[in-house]
Amino acid sequence: MATVHIPTPMREATDGAARVEIEGATVREVVERLEASFPGLGGRLVEDGQIRPGLSAFVDGANVGRRLRTKLQPESELFFVEALGGG
Amino acid sequence: MRAIQYAAPSTVEDAVAILAEHGSDARMLAGGTDLIVQVREDARDTGVFVDAKKIPELMDLSVNADGSTTLGAAVPCHQLYNNAQFAASYPAVVDAARIIGSTGIQGRASVGGNLCNSGPAGDTIPPLIVHSAVCNIAGPDGERTVAVEDFCTAPGRNVLADGELLVSLTLPKPPAGSGSHYLRFIPRNEMDIAVVGAGASLVLDGESITAARISLGAVAPTPLFVQAAGDALIGLTANEDSFAVAADIARDAASPIDDMRGTIAHRKQLSYVLTQRALRGARARAQGGSPTNGH
Amino acid sequence: MAVDTRVGQTIKHHDEEYKVIGTRPIRHDGLEKVTGEARYGSDINLPGQLHGKVLRSPHAHARIVSIDTSGAEALDGVRAVITSAAFPDPGDKLTGGGEAPGLPLKFKSANMLARGKVHYHGHAIAAVAAANPHVAAEALKLIDVEYEVLDPVLEVWDAMKPDAPVIIEDLYTAKADGTTAEEASNVAAEMLYEVGDVDAGFAEADLVVDREFTFGVVHQGYIETHNATAHWLKDGHLHVWCSSQGAFTIRQELADLLDHPITKIHVVPMEIGGGFGGKTTAYLEPLAALLSRQTGHPVKMAMDRADVLKATGPTPGGYVRVKLGVTNDGMITAGYANLAFDAGGYPGSVVGAGCRCVFAPYNMPNAKVEGFDVVVNKPKTHAYRAPGATHAEFASETVVDEICRTLDIDPVEFRLKNSAKEGDWQLAMPPYPRIGHIECMEAARDSAQWQTPLETAPGKKRGRGIASGFWFNIGFTSSVTAKLNSDGSVTLLEGSTDIGGTRTSIAMQFAETLGISVEDVDPIVADTDSVGQTDVTGGSRVTFATGLAAHNAANDMKDQIVEGLADLWDVAADSITHADGTFSANGNSATVGEAAGLLEEEGVFPIGKNTVTPTREGGAFAVHIADVEVDDETGKVEVLRYTAVQDAGVAIYPPYVEGQMQGGVVQGVGWALNEEYVYDDDGHLLNASLLDYRMPTALDVPNIETIIVEVPNPGHPYGVRGVGEVPIVPPPAAMANAIHDATGVRMSHLPMSPARVQAALAAEA
Repeated sequence: MATVHIPTPMREATDGAARVEIEGATVREVVERLEASFPGLGGRLVEDGQIRPGLSAFVDGANVGRRLRTKLQPESELFFVEALGGG
Repeated sequence: MRAIQYAAPSTVEDAVAILAEHGSDARMLAGGTDLIVQVREDARDTGVFVDAKKIPELMDLSVNADGSTTLGAAVPCHQLYNNAQFAASYPAVVDAARIIGSTGIQGRASVGGNLCNSGPAGDTIPPLIVHSAVCNIAGPDGERTVAVEDFCTAPGRNVLADGELLVSLTLPKPPAGSGSHYLRFIPRNEMDIAVVGAGASLVLDGESITAARISLGAVAPTPLFVQAAGDALIGLTANEDSFAVAADIARDAASPIDDMRGTIAHRKQLSYVLTQRALRGARARAQGGSPTNGH
Repeated sequence: MAVDTRVGQTIKHHDEEYKVIGTRPIRHDGLEKVTGEARYGSDINLPGQLHGKVLRSPHAHARIVSIDTSGAEALDGVRAVITSAAFPDPGDKLTGGGEAPGLPLKFKSANMLARGKVHYHGHAIAAVAAANPHVAAEALKLIDVEYEVLDPVLEVWDAMKPDAPVIIEDLYTAKADGTTAEEASNVAAEMLYEVGDVDAGFAEADLVVDREFTFGVVHQGYIETHNATAHWLKDGHLHVWCSSQGAFTIRQELADLLDHPITKIHVVPMEIGGGFGGKTTAYLEPLAALLSRQTGHPVKMAMDRADVLKATGPTPGGYVRVKLGVTNDGMITAGYANLAFDAGGYPGSVVGAGCRCVFAPYNMPNAKVEGFDVVVNKPKTHAYRAPGATHAEFASETVVDEICRTLDIDPVEFRLKNSAKEGDWQLAMPPYPRIGHIECMEAARDSAQWQTPLETAPGKKRGRGIASGFWFNIGFTSSVTAKLNSDGSVTLLEGSTDIGGTRTSIAMQFAETLGISVEDVDPIVADTDSVGQTDVTGGSRVTFATGLAAHNAANDMKDQIVEGLADLWDVAADSITHADGTFSANGNSATVGEAAGLLEEEGVFPIGKNTVTPTREGGAFAVHIADVEVDDETGKVEVLRYTAVQDAGVAIYPPYVEGQMQGGVVQGVGWALNEEYVYDDDGHLLNASLLDYRMPTALDVPNIETIIVEVPNPGHPYGVRGVGEVPIVPPPAAMANAIHDATGVRMSHLPMSPARVQAALAAEA
C-alpha cells in the first residue's frame, strides 16, 4: 500500500484524512484508484486520469513530475506538489 | 525620417546668425552629453546642431586683468580640475566638475552646457551661484549679462531668447579668506543625479563670517539661490550654531517635489543636512584645509 | 597575519578527490568574450533583413477602441504592420512545456500584442517592419490608437478589495481546494500549505512576533536587452536567433502562440548578456516571426532599455506577513505567513514558491502559509533568481532577528537550534534529504567577519546582520551529445544557454568521467535541431542536470570505446578496465586519445549521448553576513563588509560558484537598498532607465568574501547542487538586520532606500 499525502485544502474529499493508503504498482494505478475512491479529488489532484497540469508527483522524495509509469514500492510515500520554475 | 543639420561656426557672430535663422529648431552643441541623449530619446526635437567647440571665445579659460576668470561656455569639466589656479580659486565649481558623470563624460561635458540645460539638479549651477558668476550672452541685438541665479527660469528653460547663446561665464576673484564647497546627495556612490545638491561660499575674517552665499539644487523648479541663508551668517562666528541657523533657512526655502529621485520630506531634510555640510567644507577651505564630508 | 579575503574558502564535508572537478581551468568561452568575438543576438545580420519596432501603450489600463495602421502602412519603407489580429485565436488552449506549463495560452498571446485591452504601461499594441530602424520608429508615430482609459489598479492590497476594478473580466480565482470562484476578481489563485496544528503551536509559544512587509517591483537588470531575428521561409520553416535562457522553451512558445508545427521551428541560442529568470519567455520572437512571414524577409528586432524595464517580466512587488511563535528558550513552536504577490497584467506570479520557502531554513512542527496571486496593472511578472524566496525570507529572517533580540539569544545559536536538517518536514513536500544549512551556519559563525568585532567609529552608526536563505533548485530535462574525434578530443553539444560559465562546468564533469583533460573537451551550446530536449537555463539546474547528462554521455561513450577495443583486442568487453583515462585488458592498454586513433582505423567514431530528467535536485542553503554604516542624517546605507556562505554540494568550478555567490549578493544589495519601479498614480512607470532604476555600481559594493560549503547532494553522482539562485535570498534580510543593529530601526519595505531609512529614523526619534 502506497501512502498518499493529501494537501490540507483538499482533505474535505478524504474526510479530513491527511494520508490515505492506496494499492498500486505505479503512480498511474494509484492516481486511478484515488480518483475512484475519492471522487472529490477528481479535477483537483488528478484530471482525466492524469496528474493535473502544473502539479508534480514526488515518490519517496524523488520529483517524478507527471510521469505516471513511475513504479512504486509497497511502502512508497507519494506527494503532489505544485511544479516550480526558477530564475 | 528626421534629417538634421550640423553647423560648426568659428565666430560668435556666425553662431548668432545661424541660431537666429533657425530659431528654436537650433541648439548649441557643446559636449553633447545632455543634448544628444535627449534627442535620441525623443525628449527634445532639434533640427540644427550648432557646434560650440570651434568658437575660440567659447573654449577660453583665462584670468582677466581684474583677477576675475573667464570660463568659456564649452570648456569641458576636466580642464577645470586640471587647472591648479582655477581649482584653487573656485573649489566648489571643481567639486561639481569632478562628480558629473564619469571621467569619460567629464572629458566632454561643459559647465556652460550644464547651465544651458537648466536642469533643477544641474551640479555646476549652485557652485556658480555661490561664486557670484555672471553669464555673458551674445545675440542678434548685441551682448548682455545675467547673474547665474537669474539665468534659469523653469526646468529645462532659461533666459536665452531665440538667436542668443551663452558665450562665457565671468567668475569674480574670490576675496582673501574665502572658501567654497559643493556636494550632493545621491543614493548610490556614482553615476547618479543629485537628489539634492548644496553649494556654499564663505568669507572669513578670523572666525567671523563677512560674506556668505548658499545655493541648493533639485529642491525647486530652478537651482535656488538662498540669499537669506547667507545673509543670516554675516557677522556670526563660523561654527555649528551659526551653520544650523543657515541650514534652517535653507530647509524652509526648499520647495521640492516627490518624484522618482526623492520625496519632499527627504529633500527637505537633505537641504538642511547638505547646507550644514557645504558650510563646513567651505569653512575648512577658507581656513586652508579641505572638506572632510564625502559627497 | 592578515587574511587575504580576495581568495574564497572551501569547507568540505566529504572525502572525494577529483582530477578535474574542483580545479580552475581557463574557461572555454573566455577569450571569445573578452575579445568581442562571441556572437550575441544583435550580431545577427541577414541579407535582405528588415527592422521591426513595437508600439507600446501610454496607459496602464485602457480599452482599445480602435487601431488604425493605415498611416504607418502608407509610409515609404514600411513593409508590414501587425496587431493582435495577426496571432491565431488561442481559444482555451493551455501553454505547453517550459517555465509555467498549464496556463491559459490566451494570456500569453495577449501579452505579446494587446488583445482588446491594455493591461499595463508599455504593453505592446502593434509591431512594424521597415527597411531600417528609423523608418520603423517613424511609422510607430503614424499608428492611430483610440483608447478608453480605465482606472488602474497598482498594488495587491488595492486589487484584492471587493470593489476594485476587475482587470480581466473572466478571471475566476483558482482556489486552494481545487475549486473555482464564481465571481470574477483580480485574484488569479489562492494557495494554502499547512503542517501540524498551528493554533496549538502558537498556544505553546511564550513570544509571538507578527509583522507585515511590503515590496516594490524589481527588475533582473540583465545588461543585454532582448533581441530576436526571425526568418520564415516559404516552406514554413521558421529560423529564430535570440537572446534567451532556453531555446527549446522559445521553440515551444512559438509553436503554441503561432500554432505552427514544432518540427518546423528552429531556434538558435546566441550568447547571452544575463537573464536571471527574465529571459525565460518570448517577447519579440513571435512578432519578428509574424512580420517575417508577412514580408518574406528576415526581421530583426531589439528592445531599448526603456522597453525592457516597461514591458518585460520584472519580479513582483507585494505583501508578506510573517508570524512566529517561540518559547523563551528559543524554540520555534509555530509559524504563519500570508503572501500576496503581484502577477502583473496577467496571472502567474511566483508566490507559490515564496510560500514554500518562507520557513524553509527551520524545522517547524506547526506551520500554515497562505498565498495569493493577484493581477494588477503592471507588466506580467516573472522569475528573478530564487523567485519568491527573497521576498518571503526577507520577512521571516527579519522576524527571526527580532525574536533573537527580544529573547537576547545569539542569532547564530537560534538558527542552529531550530535549523532544518535531513528528515525534517518541508512544507507540503517530502522530508528534506541531506541538506547543509547547519554546516553553512557553522561556517558563517567561524568566518573571519563574524569572528572580527565590528569596528566602531565616533559619530558613525554601524551594525552587523546575518540571515539564512533557501531555494529548491529545479531538475527539468537536459541533453548532451558528445562526439569522440580521431585525435581523442571531444566535441560536446549541449542545449543549455551558458549564463554562468556552465559550458565549462559541464565539460569538466564529462572530462572527469571519461578521464581526459577539460582542455580536450570543446563544449558547444547547440540549437534546437542539433541536440536533444534541454529546458531553460534557470532554477540553478544547468551544472546539476546538464552536468548529469554529460556524465551519463561520458559513460555511454566509454561503453562504446570499450566495445570497440574489445573487438580490436579480441577480449571480452567486461575484461577491459578503465582507470585514470586509460583502458586496459590482457596486456593491452590505450588512453582515450590512443583508443580514438585505433578506433578511427576501424571506422568507429563513438558518440555518447544522454537525455535526463533528474528527480533529486537537492535544495541549497546560504548564510550571509553584512556589516553596514548608516548615515543617520541622510538615511544612506553603505556596505562595509560582506561574507557569503553557501552549500554548493560539490563545487565543480569554484570560481564560477564564487561568481554566482558574489553576483547574487550584488543584486540582493541593489534590491535591498535602491532598486524599485516607481509609478505615478495613473500607473505610468517613471524610472524606465538605468539612471533612475538604481542598480549598484562597482563603488556601491565591497569585495564580497565567499565560503563554499560542500555537503554533497545525494541526487547527483558528483554531489552537485545548483548555486545560481540562492545567493540573492539572504542579502535584503542580512542588510535589514544590520541596519537595525546600527540604528535600532526595523525596516519593513524593500527597498530600504535612503528616503525610507531616514523617514524611519525620524519616526523613531
